[in-house]
Amino acid sequence: MKKLLSILLAAIMVLSMVSAVAEEEITLTLWSIATESDSSHQSFIDAIAAFEAANPGVKIAHDTTANEAYKTKIKAAMSSGEGLPDIFFTWGMGFLGEFVDAGRVLNLDAYYPTYAAELPEVMTGNSTYNGSHYGVPYSMSIVALYANMDLLKKAGWEDIPATYEDMIKCCEDLKAAGIIPFGVSGKELWCLSEYVEPLVIKSIGGAKLRDIYNGVATWNDPGVVKAIAAFQDMVTKEYFDPSAIALGNDEVKNNFIAGKYAFYQNGSWNNGDIGKAEIAPNVKVGTFPVLDPENATLMQMIGGPNNTLAVTATTQYPDLAAKAAFELGKFLSNADYTSGANLPCWTADPNAEVANDLIPAVANMVAQADDMVLFGDNFLSADAANTYLDYIGQAFAGDITAEEFAEGLASELN
Amino acid sequence: MKKSFGYKLNIFLFLLPALILFIGVLIAPIFMSLSYSFTEWNGLKDPIFIGLDNYKELFTSKSINIMRALKNSLLLAGLSVFIQLTFALWLALKLGKKPVGERAYLSIFFMPVLISTVVIGQLWLKIYNPDYGVLNLALKSLGLESWTRVWLGDKKTVLWACFVPILWQYVGYHMLLMYAGIKGVPTELCEAAMLDGCTEGQLNRYIIIPYIKPILRVSVIFAVTGSLKSFDLIYVLTNGGPNHATEVPSTLMINLLFLRNRYGMGSTIAVMLIVLCFVFALLINLVFKEEK
Repeated sequence: MKKLLSILLAAIMVLSMVSAVAEEEITLTLWSIATESDSSHQSFIDAIAAFEAANPGVKIAHDTTANEAYKTKIKAAMSSGEGLPDIFFTWGMGFLGEFVDAGRVLNLDAYYPTYAAELPEVMTGNSTYNGSHYGVPYSMSIVALYANMDLLKKAGWEDIPATYEDMIKCCEDLKAAGIIPFGVSGKELWCLSEYVEPLVIKSIGGAKLRDIYNGVATWNDPGVVKAIAAFQDMVTKEYFDPSAIALGNDEVKNNFIAGKYAFYQNGSWNNGDIGKAEIAPNVKVGTFPVLDPENATLMQMIGGPNNTLAVTATTQYPDLAAKAAFELGKFLSNADYTSGANLPCWTADPNAEVANDLIPAVANMVAQADDMVLFGDNFLSADAANTYLDYIGQAFAGDITAEEFAEGLASELN
Repeated sequence: MKKSFGYKLNIFLFLLPALILFIGVLIAPIFMSLSYSFTEWNGLKDPIFIGLDNYKELFTSKSINIMRALKNSLLLAGLSVFIQLTFALWLALKLGKKPVGERAYLSIFFMPVLISTVVIGQLWLKIYNPDYGVLNLALKSLGLESWTRVWLGDKKTVLWACFVPILWQYVGYHMLLMYAGIKGVPTELCEAAMLDGCTEGQLNRYIIIPYIKPILRVSVIFAVTGSLKSFDLIYVLTNGGPNHATEVPSTLMINLLFLRNRYGMGSTIAVMLIVLCFVFALLINLVFKEEK
């Protein structure tokens, strides 16, 4: 009898352990840049909630860090290979490429076919290396020229200038009216590149810019010199906020929203913040005019599918993490689009209601694009990107001439 | 003999945990940094041995420009010794005379040391803000509008604008060290000197300052090595910008390590900083020893 009782008790104990194991919750960690001030913050919260609801027993621990600090954090974690999350936000091309090269990222080829119908192959190019998929792109951005039409009207302009000559004239008119033409953060060098790259692509064309990034063509090109000279001309003519060098991008964006600048040229991810601000009805989005019509067209643009989720190779749950990355990516693509924050990489409902009018305008620009080259600091490797940004900073400060910019980059990067 | 050996073994065994900790936390990382400094390593792939190439590049590369960073650090070290420590000594001597509200003054001057550097950085960012900062507003209200500027953006002023809060933050720290030393000066020594007709200035010069020289030496070592290693406030205020105008070796190291993925070169700067700190500490010791 005692034996039977002890066997029964043991069986109950084993069963309770099994059920405890069965009910154990799996937690996937996700690192992203979607801090509270990020326009995708709410989209991430909603995406995680939707995934958790559809997958009982799975939780996602979301850890957010602001843009620049995030780059340091993810690189340090990738270097040590310890404490890595299961899923992480990344930019495509050079940024993710270095992690892929080091074997830190999970190959997603086995999982992609399930979602291929909704995530077109053309959108995965910036996260595909040697023909294999390593990332789930969820939104794309371009460099957009936001214009405060009220201020432009005060200076006598009814629309965004369509030619470079008109743009210069418009800036002079704005200055004469006591309005600062452009807002830019000189403290965050990538913000300066949002002005330089459109000038370069509209001087030499997309194909050549891509060749330069790939190391096939040289930086020491007359078109690059022309673009940098035009940029420096805008600086010396005081078209930028004189406080630019001391301002961060958030401050500049807020200044634009507060009506301090006529133009703000930055990533189209700002649609969310600008679109929900009071200023929104007076804002028009466009693109910087062509500098050299012989080589470039108005609709050659900087940008592309870039915001991406990837899975670390060290994850304990590769299948679940890959599924989460795709499901979250799909949700984010749609949520970012409908909230007016960004353009989708996944097929979107053409009749979906979007929160502001800026996104359809940007979508229209993308639809008309002749060519699109990814942001330089994402395209290039970390070391090359920082050298490149350094040179842009020096050009902005007037420490080097346009010729020295081209020669210097050619000698250091080519 | 046996007893003596057992006694020494006991000492060794008791010291062993601390020794292991010391080697593991301090000595081993220094040697690891030294070994990485001879490699080309992006932190992801295996390091490649390249001998002294990083050292050659460090002192010849225009894009790294270590000499500019070193010049900034040495300037800060000079200012720390000649302005910060002089002011701290003056405060300590004044407080050593037991003025009314001595404790209150001590707390007030020491307060910046207790505040987080990030908070201090944010505070000074607001002070220097070109649009609503107290500094520009004060100048405008005094009719000195032409003096207003973008303090952290103008290359002529940014270095000094960064040095002011750094010097301000640690005045209280050095003052407290010196104040403690002054409090240790025997009262009878001061009274005897006063009876002999010593003025206050003479008392400070011939009695108190020589008496606290060991503390002054420590303060100078802290000020100089602290300046060479300075990072946090500069990182918050300018992150080495604009255009590297406020770059110091530590900000350069962080940039190379975490933004450019150049772990070999970052380690080279780390090794250079360790060597410089040791050399300066030895030199300062030598100067104070000679004077002794």
